[in-house]
Amino acid sequence: MVCLWKLRNSQLVSKLVLGIFFIFLTFTTVATTVNQSLYIIADSLLTVDSAKVPYLTFNDSPTYSQSNPIINLMVGDTLDLWVYNTDNSTHDFLIKGISVVQSIPANDSVFLQVIFSTTGSYIYYDPSDFPKNTYLGLAGMIVVRNHNHASFYWNIKEHNSDWNTQLFNGNTVNWNQYDPKYFTINSVSNPNINGDTLARVTGKVGDTLYLYITNTGLSIHSMHFHGYHATIKYSSKNATHVGREKDTFPIYPMETVVLQIVPDKEGEFPIHDHNLVAVMGNNIYPNGMFTTILITP
Amino acid sequence: MRKLLFIFGFFGMVISSVAQQMTTTNIFSKMDMGPQHVLWDGTNTMLMGFTSLMMTPIDIPGPTLVYTEGDSVELKLRNMSQSASHTIHLHGLDVDQWNDGVPHLSFEVGHNETESYYFKAPHPGTYLYHCHVTSSLHVQAGMYGMLIIKPQNANETWDGGFTFDKEYAWMTSEIDTIWHTDSIINAPHDTTTIMRILPDYNPQYFFVNGRAEYQLSDTNVAAITSKANEIVLLRLANIGYFGNRLIFPTQLNAKIISSDGRPLPNVESSDTLEILPGERYQVLLQPTIEFTDSISVDYFNLNTQNIANIQMIPLNVSGFVSVDEVFGSQVTIYPNPVKDKLFFSNFTEKFTIHDVRGKSIIQGNVSSTNSSIDVSKLSKGIYFIKTNKRTTKFIKN
Repeated sequence: MVCLWKLRNSQLVSKLVLGIFFIFLTFTTVATTVNQSLYIIADSLLTVDSAKVPYLTFNDSPTYSQSNPIINLMVGDTLDLWVYNTDNSTHDFLIKGISVVQSIPANDSVFLQVIFSTTGSYIYYDPSDFPKNTYLGLAGMIVVRNHNHASFYWNIKEHNSDWNTQLFNGNTVNWNQYDPKYFTINSVSNPNINGDTLARVTGKVGDTLYLYITNTGLSIHSMHFHGYHATIKYSSKNATHVGREKDTFPIYPMETVVLQIVPDKEGEFPIHDHNLVAVMGNNIYPNGMFTTILITP
Repeated sequence: MRKLLFIFGFFGMVISSVAQQMTTTNIFSKMDMGPQHVLWDGTNTMLMGFTSLMMTPIDIPGPTLVYTEGDSVELKLRNMSQSASHTIHLHGLDVDQWNDGVPHLSFEVGHNETESYYFKAPHPGTYLYHCHVTSSLHVQAGMYGMLIIKPQNANETWDGGFTFDKEYAWMTSEIDTIWHTDSIINAPHDTTTIMRILPDYNPQYFFVNGRAEYQLSDTNVAAITSKANEIVLLRLANIGYFGNRLIFPTQLNAKIISSDGRPLPNVESSDTLEILPGERYQVLLQPTIEFTDSISVDYFNLNTQNIANIQMIPLNVSGFVSVDEVFGSQVTIYPNPVKDKLFFSNFTEKFTIHDVRGKSIIQGNVSSTNSSIDVSKLSKGIYFIKTNKRTTKFIKN
């Protein structure tokens, strides 16, 4: 009897051990450590009409790019992040809602290690003298996924070139009179947005597509989809809006939203800001926040 | 065999012609020859817009297009604008690319041309239509209107949705008169490029259904009149370039039920609703007492979030819904409001009681020998009794 109990028990224990091992194996094979470096570099934003506007960005190498990198993680991943300040003034660094503010003197660096346990879209930025440094370009996106579906990423923003010049020259501006002239997705405007494979939504009929959006500008944007409704899967501002199926999505400053699109037909359809001032660039239509989704059979 | 094939073919053609029966709507795109549209303060301005008849003057918004879910629709656009090409974008209807009204991805309709848009009326709800040629300009110029899809039961929000007694539709927009000057609105149409230089946007006029200030007191424009215990469906759409913030008096018990033509997964009770450009919402208003007040609409700048204008829409809830009004004189239910038992006279039918969300609560039969329904276990609120012939509202206290 005792032997039988022991035998049964040992079978149970071995099943339990096997189960734990399987779960351990599952998590250890999915969760990884992602090493990322960000370099704060001052340079300029090349606008749709070829103007050069003073600008600051985080870059994933010491070479300047006018678009902040998108840091792409899976749930459970650990982010090992070095942030280097190559600018000649002090900057701060913060992952909104995740980390604490860290100050980075000129030509210095900081290290952060963060484990991301929930899906969503997060903003990393320089909160010092807010909104000045964020407005000047120091704001990017961390995406945490729990799926391997095709995903696309928009860091949406607006710019007033005169203000950038004023702020770079150490002057102040009246934020209450903000009047942007350029409207960008990942730092470019129409028609260049469709050339950005991270931004341009493409897929096939029946695919499940994800669009991760952060608004790192100061304006509210109202993004309208032609052709398809999308479902809100995550909203940092309005958690109760998750599950809503819509064709027009307000995205407030410093808000992040995750949308899911399952196209039911083929075609090329616009996605654009329905504040139709924002589909212009320096008062030229249609050089603003306008792109297209391309769905093939 | 040939006879059989002929019979099948004949019936096939009949069935197919019935199935393909189409609702055709004619719409004209036009431009004012000068500043002839009179704004609330007497200022004249120039519009581009849509009309349902050739000789009708342009107004904003354009004609409201109403269809029933499942309708096959031909929307025939005749462009009489003298200059610019136009299109109709069916905003939110998710039509195919060819019928989506985006000129460089489908077609545009030149002056003196007629083209048709075809679609099947989708989910019941509140939608928009507008021109998508140089959209920043043509929408501001006035080329927009509301499009409503109703379910088969026109007193429901959607099949199995909320029942309502009356409805209002408000479309918000703005005008910057600089954009409506002849040199901007009537610039020669350039067929070689879609690019266009436009002025800064600083609107001076803020509208609900193309009207403002004292004009909103007109019940044919926007003002709401209702009775206590009536359920009012408010359809809202923002085609302007500012945000709107609506503030409802708490006595209206406003419930946000759908957006962009889809029911919300969770109904939201709120006295405040923000509607951004291109969005639509449907709100149920359920006053239970008599009162007079206003619904305010803030117009806020999307860059600064500063409020640029406020419009007040008068609201008058007067009287109570009486039983006879909803039943007809031959049928009576009593008492209403009811606490325990609801009695009937002159009524012998199967019935279903459902709540305001359309959920079936009680089913049964009423006859001369069984002329009451026990409703004591129902929570307090508004309910409906549905029969084959009618839907009747009662209040449980």
